[in-house]
Amino acid sequence: MRHLHFRWQPAAPQRTLVATVTAGLVVTVLASCGGGNVGTAAPDSTSSTSAVDGRAMALSAGERTARDLPTSLVEARRFLTQATFGPDDDNLALLQRIGYSAWIDRQFAMTPGSFRLRWEQVDAALRAANPATGADVNDVVNAFWERALTGQDQLRLRVAYALSQIFVLSSVDGEVLAQPRALAAWLDMLNTDGLTTYRQVLESVARHPLMGRYLTHLRNQKEDTATGRVPDENFAREVMQLFSIGVARLNTDGTQVLVNGQAVETYTAADVTGLARVFTGWSFACPGYPSANCFNYGATGGADSQEDPDREFKPMVAYPAFHTQEAKTFLGVTVPQTGRVNPYGGLKVALDTLAEHPNVGPFIGKQLIQRLTNSNPSKTYVAAIAAVWANNGAGVRGDIKAVVKAILTHPEAMQPLRSSAKLREPVLRLSAFLRAFPHSSDTGLYRVGITDDPSSQLGQTPLRAPSVFNFYRPGYVLPNSQSASVGMVAPEAQLLSESSVTGWVNYMVDNLYNGVGGYNTTLGGVNFNRRDLQRSWRDEMALSDNPRSLVDAVVDKLLYSQSATALRSQVTDAVASITVPPLASDGSNAAVVDAARRDRVYTALLLTLASTEFLIQK
Amino acid sequence: MHVLTNAARRQFLRQAGAMSALMGAGAPVALNMAAIGSAAAQGASDYKAIVCLFLFGGNDAYNMVLPTDSASWSAYTATRNQAPDPISLLAPGVAANPGAVAASPARLGGVLPLSVANPQGRSFALHPLMNSVQSLFNVDRRVAILPNIGPLVRPTTKADYANSVFPKPLRLFSHNDQQNTWQALAPEGSTRGWGGRMADQLQALNGKPIFSAISAAGNSVWLSGEQVVQYQVSATGAVPLGVDTSGRVFGSATAGTILQRLASTARGSHPFEFDSAAVAGRAISAEQALRTALRPPSDAAFGTAPATGGYAQSNDPKLRYTNPVTGAVAYNGLAGQLQMVARLVDAGLSGATGARRQVFFVSMGGFDTHDLQNRNQADLLARLDHALKYFDTTLAALNARNQVTTFTASDFGRTFTSNGDGTDHGWGSHHLVMGGAVKGGDLYGNFPTLALKNANNNGFDGSPQLLSNGALLPGTSVDQLGYTLGSWFGLSPSQLGDIFPNLANFNASVRNLGFMLA
Repeated sequence: MRHLHFRWQPAAPQRTLVATVTAGLVVTVLASCGGGNVGTAAPDSTSSTSAVDGRAMALSAGERTARDLPTSLVEARRFLTQATFGPDDDNLALLQRIGYSAWIDRQFAMTPGSFRLRWEQVDAALRAANPATGADVNDVVNAFWERALTGQDQLRLRVAYALSQIFVLSSVDGEVLAQPRALAAWLDMLNTDGLTTYRQVLESVARHPLMGRYLTHLRNQKEDTATGRVPDENFAREVMQLFSIGVARLNTDGTQVLVNGQAVETYTAADVTGLARVFTGWSFACPGYPSANCFNYGATGGADSQEDPDREFKPMVAYPAFHTQEAKTFLGVTVPQTGRVNPYGGLKVALDTLAEHPNVGPFIGKQLIQRLTNSNPSKTYVAAIAAVWANNGAGVRGDIKAVVKAILTHPEAMQPLRSSAKLREPVLRLSAFLRAFPHSSDTGLYRVGITDDPSSQLGQTPLRAPSVFNFYRPGYVLPNSQSASVGMVAPEAQLLSESSVTGWVNYMVDNLYNGVGGYNTTLGGVNFNRRDLQRSWRDEMALSDNPRSLVDAVVDKLLYSQSATALRSQVTDAVASITVPPLASDGSNAAVVDAARRDRVYTALLLTLASTEFLIQK
Repeated sequence: MHVLTNAARRQFLRQAGAMSALMGAGAPVALNMAAIGSAAAQGASDYKAIVCLFLFGGNDAYNMVLPTDSASWSAYTATRNQAPDPISLLAPGVAANPGAVAASPARLGGVLPLSVANPQGRSFALHPLMNSVQSLFNVDRRVAILPNIGPLVRPTTKADYANSVFPKPLRLFSHNDQQNTWQALAPEGSTRGWGGRMADQLQALNGKPIFSAISAAGNSVWLSGEQVVQYQVSATGAVPLGVDTSGRVFGSATAGTILQRLASTARGSHPFEFDSAAVAGRAISAEQALRTALRPPSDAAFGTAPATGGYAQSNDPKLRYTNPVTGAVAYNGLAGQLQMVARLVDAGLSGATGARRQVFFVSMGGFDTHDLQNRNQADLLARLDHALKYFDTTLAALNARNQVTTFTASDFGRTFTSNGDGTDHGWGSHHLVMGGAVKGGDLYGNFPTLALKNANNNGFDGSPQLLSNGALLPGTSVDQLGYTLGSWFGLSPSQLGDIFPNLANFNASVRNLGFMLA
């Protein structure tokens, strides 16, 4: 991995869509957001249970017996904050009707769309308009936002997003940046395999060519004892440290095993060297497999060189000539030296060994808790999840659906302890805002784009962590803090700085004034000259003559209807400080009145979004 | 995780730190002085700053500082000349071949010879793209090299290393843990860095304690002390939180006031709420202080005023370098961070921030060169070279060269061995120190012996420093670097002994590496 720690690096800037974009693009793109296409699921169209369409709410027999309804709107909103990209009216209604278990099961049953197909569609439209252009990594990010904001399969993507912060691969890396189509396919992999088993995800991660580029085991060659060349150890180290077992032996409750007061390391440098041998000889799928050209270049070579057009996301294949014959010893197992190399056999041993390691449940399970519900889960909570990890009740280990359901329905998630809390990460702050107050997208592409700069944007973009160590570490302790003084970790606080707290507020001032995302000049001959995501705010402006009503409407949506008495009162004072002049009988000052009402709405929103009540999810 | 053995004391100190940050120099001075004890620097009236320049990912210093005597060179070339993409740089004097692959050793030409005052019977050179550093070393004598430095518990031999019970730094070869160990002397989870702990001892000299420890590169544990809280500023400076220059948001000054109050106070009782509010509170008060304290980046001391339009760092010729891979001239973000540091140094010197002892953190990432090392490291070292030159020149314009000392640090060095187009995680590494108070043009510490692998292909028996995987066993400890810088900064041996407890394991005569003028 190439490290770039907590610094903004400009990537490909997002295009400003200009008049050269033809009507063809707009038609394609606008038509594509109407539903039914791969990128945007039609609202719950597969069943007759949609809360959207108002049809009958038939409950299955299982759902009738397992009804576990939220006891309050606060509880329902809290749950949807944990299980989605933000509560919306439809899911609130559905959840209150069918209960947690059925809601989760229905989410799991939804068929995911494909980010890669969506990206290809955008790419084709751009190329049709101008052959010199094409989709890039912004379009992967935008496809994520489109789905996070409008997709019905919220829980699946929320889990995929959590997994993207554990199995980290980042387009901050130049090689990843150069493969946006494969990056979209990577997100598809997390979105589909993410709800199977951990073992399946681990294999898909280990064999994904984009991970091979990021952690450099693609084209990793066996040793050469004559010259002294050695295998690359990068993936072998990080798959243990970050993707599976961690550095220290854990009890099932997530605490470290201590021997004479000391942590016990799970692996040594020799284990890394041994495991690195397993990851030699892997390269692209290729029509000329297993030639050296295919291994080295992913193509047959020569005058009419051929390559697999999907090689950047088809699972890597093993090239025996480049795979070591040496014995591979790691974590107490040995793949023996043999006359005939068997890379797939060695890989199976390695991945089975990692997936069966007792650390995985508490190590990965606790991180999923931290991503979804709570930064500092109790030992009981972690142990309960580790138990489900070990056995889903049907003898399956690492069943991620069962683990996620157990995390979301654990009492500590639903009736939080006083210690339970999580700092909202910037991406989830913006998504909560945009789902509570839906915006339309002029292009249908939800062009939120790259938002890496902490001083003027979010300081975070999906799939763009600074390094394989993610945006933040699960054990991060904020120095000189109250949370540290009571022994709490605060992962998301690793993104918290004087620069980023200011950046968040100023970014939202800008978003409220101007809309969100990339700027569109002209689309299909129509002048837009505004940001891509827009909302009229008419509903909220209608409340603005009564500051308290306006504030209540805003606070209720953003803060799960917590009482937040002091906050409501202070925001109300701020809103009331903006004078709305009476509308003249001839309507001549309508624009001024409108602007004042708008400022009241923006003030109510901004002050709530800047408050500690919003920034800390309890 | 930080475990509290004395929660009440920590809490008291935390509150004291927060209070002093908000109130400035007045009330807390007595408290800080009481905490300081016998600070040798208490009477100091000058200004000094230490800048940590962190190379995230683990810089391959084997290709940054190279021994060029024949025995070393032949071992180097044999070990690193590996297919498919040899990473062995070429000997001094080899002309660059403009037809060769971009950033390949042939394209770069030979390594750049160094004139070392005490060359230990050997000869040395720098990476071909570090010509500014070469000049700063050879001619200006403001750069020194610390060979083979890294974290150590005590002086360690290869035999000690092989002894499983001999005390060694924990979690060697792991990025996050060794970043933390360089910065805070322990693996991930430690929350007190040695830069911040130095600032703890000296912040009473500063009019506004909030400007004692400043990062222009995001979160850095190096800057966190017992009391000192790091202030993180963007490379372009501080801007108001939510409000315009008149304190209004959406046209209302009342709303602006309430906005900042809501962001900087907690109404709930969860520690996260207080922590979040505290950061916002610091952002607001620091921005107010800096608004008038900093000269603009377009000032000729730091940058270039644009002929037309507003100033943008990315367009400032002083902050742009030539990418050796593409040939394009591009913005160098590290130089941009150092511009911010220079503006803050200027504000310290002028009295505008009241700062007299400051520690700064800047960084660049991308050094984890497991593959494509030629290309990636060439670009990184070109940026490093450009940024150091920019900073040296800028400090000269501020007449501050003698008051500011910059050192490089990194996760770890890398392996001597090659994996075909890159290198793996190591331990000891070579680092640079730059400043007018640095006794430059020399090496401080023994340069390690390079050797070939033995006949069994399982060890570098000919070198006392090369471990079996090609990592360097450090000969100099990070603690010695800290002690030497801290002594220059004005801290007493006992204060430094508190900050660097492992120094007790090193002979008193070697604790100060001697690279700083008294």
